[in-house]
Amino acid sequence: MLGTEFRAGLSLPIRTAPRAAGAGAVLLTEEAAISAAPDQDLRIEMIAAEGALVAQGAPVARLRAAPGIVLGAPMAGRIASVDLRPGRKLGEIVLFREDAAGRHAFDTAAALGDAGAGALRALLQGAGLWPLLRSRPFGHMPRPDEVPAAIFVMAADTRPFAPDPAQALTGRHEAFARGLDALARLTGGPVVLCQPKGAPLAEAGAARGRLRIVHVGARHPQGLAGLQMHHHHPARITATVWDIHAEDVAGLGALLETGLLPETRLVSLAGPALAETRLLRCQPGADLRGLSHGAVRPGNHVLLSGAPLDGRKAHWLGLRDRQVSVLARVPGGGARAHWFRAALGRAARPRPIIPTAALEQALGAAFPAAALVRALSAGDDETAIRLGALSLLEEDLALADYVTGAEPRLAALLRGMLARIEAEEAP
Amino acid sequence: MIRGIWDRETVALMLLAAFMPVALVWLWFGGAEAFLRLVLALIVSGLWHLIFMLARAQPPSFAGAVTALAVAILAPEELGLLRLILGISFGSVMAELVFGGWGRNVLNPATVTLAFLGFGFPAAPWPEPAIPVIWAAIPAALIGVLAGVMPGRVILGAALAPAAALALGADPAEALPAAALVLVLLVCDPVASAATRPGRWLNGILYGGLVVLFALHWEGAAPVQIAVSAALFASLAAPLLDESTIAIWLLRRRRRHG
Repeated sequence: MLGTEFRAGLSLPIRTAPRAAGAGAVLLTEEAAISAAPDQDLRIEMIAAEGALVAQGAPVARLRAAPGIVLGAPMAGRIASVDLRPGRKLGEIVLFREDAAGRHAFDTAAALGDAGAGALRALLQGAGLWPLLRSRPFGHMPRPDEVPAAIFVMAADTRPFAPDPAQALTGRHEAFARGLDALARLTGGPVVLCQPKGAPLAEAGAARGRLRIVHVGARHPQGLAGLQMHHHHPARITATVWDIHAEDVAGLGALLETGLLPETRLVSLAGPALAETRLLRCQPGADLRGLSHGAVRPGNHVLLSGAPLDGRKAHWLGLRDRQVSVLARVPGGGARAHWFRAALGRAARPRPIIPTAALEQALGAAFPAAALVRALSAGDDETAIRLGALSLLEEDLALADYVTGAEPRLAALLRGMLARIEAEEAP
Repeated sequence: MIRGIWDRETVALMLLAAFMPVALVWLWFGGAEAFLRLVLALIVSGLWHLIFMLARAQPPSFAGAVTALAVAILAPEELGLLRLILGISFGSVMAELVFGGWGRNVLNPATVTLAFLGFGFPAAPWPEPAIPVIWAAIPAALIGVLAGVMPGRVILGAALAPAAALALGADPAEALPAAALVLVLLVCDPVASAATRPGRWLNGILYGGLVVLFALHWEGAAPVQIAVSAALFASLAAPLLDESTIAIWLLRRRRRHG
């Protein structure tokens, strides 16, 4: 009898070209940006002015609601343009690369002392690492004073074409252990390290003895933080759970040790519209066109920041994204259906979803799939909460959306439901 | 951005494909009479789908063809045109279309049609499916389960009850071939059967248990009649089985996670 970790999940029939030589080479694009997703509500105040020269990691902007939380420069360069949406919401802050600006060094002495977690928090927020944390339920950046019930460190990623986190950690185990230790100071609960089968990536006594190692199977969606939380530590409104990528934990460790932020992250560039698949190191917020230059087949394409399943059309690499997907654009923008068929299709929304094996596997065989989908499409918040929807985010339902072709998208229904619950229940 | 294939119509087409072995063998042995029945069932079912499309803007579905096929194979014989039309109309409309079409229904429309015809016109003799048709149910079930559109746990569960009965010395063997055919054609509907894993086991066991019970204690009932009645009751109990499974699941999770 095989365990769930082997059986649950699906392998996807998405193709990509063979990987080019020189995997993991550094490729810094000439432009990079701090950008927000269209639905993200980051109201900011600029610290550095347009045209200023900033060092890599230096503060560029801070949040108006929480002035301690800073967005840092992704690379050394000059601030070329600042685009704020109405209400001083962050649109994008574009930088041109100028290596001469150097790297910004942070003072980590206070955070290293055992005086308390306050200084560590201040360092994380002041160095621009805070946005790399994600808090559930609701999936926002954590509040400045939030204390999570657990922190999930994702050293596994099963999304199609995701870069292997173990590769991103090679040679950085010391920094990783230091980062885990720092995370343990932010929570009183466990630090859960999700990693593929094999040798443990951290020693058992790491994270102040509160490390829990969870082995994750190879098939999608098992490497998603939401599914692992659902299994091991469900998020609740009164007990939030954070997740962070293992590479960022190593970055945090390096920051504590050297005072410098890591310059690059491991990013995979893949998709059916590419002539060659690339695995490279680039700065956060890199220019997607710069990354894919020379690798794309001729034709009309879409560049996604994120995996093919849950990525979004973007110009810049997203804050937490480690993948660029290049897909062929649907010819003609999706041929318009006959008006009668289109009307008929709209009248039947939400379209019924048949509870097949495909749906069950797409949710990792971890939920009563049919009941959860029904609660989502009926807008039954209470049932969905009971079934575990608070641990989930859009990315966790992306595979079910893909498999069933749901209309409207389950991810969108979940986002609407979470927004409703947040408005009603959140403190 | 990109989109998979398992929407409602794909599942319906896959079910139709899975039923093909049964349908072809049945047509081979049934000849022209079987073919005419099938055409009639398809026309009536299709007409109702058309009417609901025009009146209620419900997209028609290939699930109507699945229903028509099951009804044509299993409906009582010598009913006459009018009664057959009445039965198919009742099943399609009251069990499927008024709920909003396939995927939102509670009971399998073919099961309801057959129960309606069986209880409404008890004098009509039930068909006795030819043995090759019943053998063809095995590849049908295999295709359905491998494609993931039929719940394999229901089939396994349904096999458990008669096996237990045989082991205990009871002899429901006479009803079993027809019960296997009905299992594949009616009980394994992904929508009308239970949707949780333990619920599916229970659903199968319940169906098998009812077949055994009826076979042993229902005097003078035809095998297909026994199986259709068991399918109806098992299908009625499916939401209850799901609910109790989910309640137990929630209880266990609460114990584990507080």
